[in-house]
Amino acid sequence: MMNCDDIRERLALYLDNELQEDDRAAFEAHTQSCESCASFVENELAFLNAIRGSGPVHTAPETLKTKVADIVNGPAEPARERFALKWILPIAAGLLVLLAPVVMWRVMRQSTHPANGGPSGFALMAAESHLRHMRGQLPLEMETTSPQAISAWFGNKVDFNVKLPSYQESSGQEKIYTLEGARLVGYQNDYAAYVSYRMGDRPISLVITSETVAKPSGGEEIASRGLRFHFNSIDGLKVITWSDRGLTYALVSDLDERGQQSCIVCHQGTKDQDFIEPLKPH
Amino acid sequence: METPRSNSVFALAALEHIDALYSYAMTLTRDKSEAEDLVQETYLRAVRAANQPATAGNLKAWLFVVMRNAWLNIARHKQHGLRLFQFEGAEPVDGVANDASSNPHVVYLRKLERQQIHDAIDTLPDAYREIVVLRDLEGFSYHEIATVLNCPAGTVMSRLGRARGKLREVLSQRQKVHRLYG
Repeated sequence: MMNCDDIRERLALYLDNELQEDDRAAFEAHTQSCESCASFVENELAFLNAIRGSGPVHTAPETLKTKVADIVNGPAEPARERFALKWILPIAAGLLVLLAPVVMWRVMRQSTHPANGGPSGFALMAAESHLRHMRGQLPLEMETTSPQAISAWFGNKVDFNVKLPSYQESSGQEKIYTLEGARLVGYQNDYAAYVSYRMGDRPISLVITSETVAKPSGGEEIASRGLRFHFNSIDGLKVITWSDRGLTYALVSDLDERGQQSCIVCHQGTKDQDFIEPLKPH
Repeated sequence: METPRSNSVFALAALEHIDALYSYAMTLTRDKSEAEDLVQETYLRAVRAANQPATAGNLKAWLFVVMRNAWLNIARHKQHGLRLFQFEGAEPVDGVANDASSNPHVVYLRKLERQQIHDAIDTLPDAYREIVVLRDLEGFSYHEIATVLNCPAGTVMSRLGRARGKLREVLSQRQKVHRLYG
């Protein structure tokens, strides 16, 4: 048997449906015979019902629902997956036979170049971030055309200094590209800086992290003005990664050749042309 | 916890909870734009982890755990903790009129009462507001709340008791003011 003190002690558990069956029965047996406790329970129940009946506080905007539907449904079509599973082995075998001489030649050629292998994790993350941003799945957290505003915005958000050059803004020259804004992107249990540019209708992404978090590697290695650039083509995107003064950068675009023209977002001056030139394929 | 192994089943089930997740994101961030980012980040993380064995609880509770972890990560990096925002009373909420009387005056009074309750919840300290939202607006059990908040069930009980006490106090004071000046 429960007494009035037991009822007050267990009231929240009862109303939250957290009492075991026998305790619940004992609770109800007491309140049926005790007017004071029954009134107490009724008041508390009315209070909770008012709170519970007040929701929902917010509903998701339709634009958000569309974006999330794209995220959860994913890009792959089942029919294409089935096609891929059915044909991938014969196609791969055929390609292996056809491309074997080319592969052998590449291996021999690459033995004279120190940096090779697949794209680094950082380059892959930068390419994925670029694609997600293009698909609207990675919206900018701050939108501005001011390099200084973006540099300041990253000030207390990442453990490294992000200082974007403002050559285009200060030179008075015709603007070839537009700075769109920035956001944080997750990488290696930390945050990297993501900066979005646009050259005409073609997006360019610059991703920056600390050199202690990511080091450029893989792909074609190209030396220019004391820096070593790594070029990869990932899902049709041109990704250039490099390290300089403690930071590692990845520049992603779908521009021509190696996408070297994207370098002008930081190197637009005439004297910088000899910096970009070595990145062109020869 | 059920593991959402089938992508299409997972997609359908996960999308059912988008309003609840958005509401929780607003509770955490107090900012529409940040809340939308947080919801997207939550679903991105959930999709990536959809085929991994989950820990405990149901899909909704698991999505709330994913969201809270994502938010804690963001808050830690932004170094502003759980910040404050104002519930936006003017925002239309589906279903407000559906469960009320068809009498326009009664509908208006009930809407006013809802708004007063939301305003009162908004004045609660972050931890109290969060636990009231999880229990009384989202209907999670003590065990599920303990999983979302990563704390003992005893803490859920005591914190919920204090949060409701504070909420009752705020509403009571507002009603007194309303009676005096209303």
